[in-house]
Amino acid sequence: MLLLTMEPQDTDAGLMLRYRDGDAAAFAALYAHYKGPLYRYLLRHVRNAGAAADVFQEVWSHLIATRARYEPRAKFATFLFHIAHNCAIDFFRRDLNLRRAMPVHDPDSQLLEPEVPEHQRPDRVAEFDEQQSALLAAVAALPQEQREAFLLREETGLTVEEIARITDVPVETAKSRLRYAVRKLKDSLRPIQEPEALPLRTYA
Amino acid sequence: MPDERMPDELDDYLRGSSALSYQYRRESSPLPPHALDRMVLEAARPEPLESKKPFKTQSLAPFAFAASVLLSVALVLAIIFGPQAKKPDDKPRVVQVRMFKSEPPRAALVSARERNPAAWLADITALRRAGRRSEADVEMRRFRSAYPDYIIPINQ
Repeated sequence: MLLLTMEPQDTDAGLMLRYRDGDAAAFAALYAHYKGPLYRYLLRHVRNAGAAADVFQEVWSHLIATRARYEPRAKFATFLFHIAHNCAIDFFRRDLNLRRAMPVHDPDSQLLEPEVPEHQRPDRVAEFDEQQSALLAAVAALPQEQREAFLLREETGLTVEEIARITDVPVETAKSRLRYAVRKLKDSLRPIQEPEALPLRTYA
Repeated sequence: MPDERMPDELDDYLRGSSALSYQYRRESSPLPPHALDRMVLEAARPEPLESKKPFKTQSLAPFAFAASVLLSVALVLAIIFGPQAKKPDDKPRVVQVRMFKSEPPRAALVSARERNPAAWLADITALRRAGRRSEADVEMRRFRSAYPDYIIPINQ
């Protein structure tokens, strides 16, 4: 029986099966459960509100388009965030190509400025920056792979093995990325967590 | 030694009891904009998509296969029993079709003399006078069939 292949606790996979068979309410339940973690993972991974919204929509569109082929071979969260990982990789690739394609600014050139995509508009970038605390700023400063491992762990609670599966790397690699991320974040936050006591001002 | 503390840090972190996880969970938890929610939920409705497709592609496969088989059989039968295949004992059937127009059938083939009834009658009279009665009778029958309404003078 098909349902025996998934974990008993994974009711989300059951919801996805119901959605595959045409139950739109099951999708609404899945969406309500995962929209927050997925959005925050993308927002803090791509570090831009506009881009996060674009990739977020892309992830769900992919899930909707491929629902007929869904089989619960793993936790639903692993399935969903694997799609998200791939969409984020595509975004970073597109973004890199776009940056490479942008001509070097020449003050004498009369060419028009290239059209700036939605996610690179200064107001959207500022919108993300303003929301950052010290911890989120430290997360944003992590290397891409370490940042993703940390965000997956925090937003989904998945194990290192599941994070390795999502990011298509060996378990040891995923563990190493997470280890370095944790260490860097702790180091970057230590001065804030343990502020030096200011000397008392004395007034004569 | 930094490398010695790493496993402890990771294990502590993975247990979920680290200050780092605690602090992360205290951060704001932004959600996608409502407009984005609406777009995704709208796109997820499967019913309109299905109603636009009364037949799935897979469901047409048996019909396509059956049509192919029927066409193949019909082609083979046409080759074996079709009009091009002649059996040795077949005899061609000749059907004579005679078409009549408004004029008598001979009218198109008649000579210049026959188009002139008076001249034709004069020739027939000449044949009789020469003693060629049978030929004159034949010509007279032809004349009658060609000009059934022609009033022949008594001396003819």
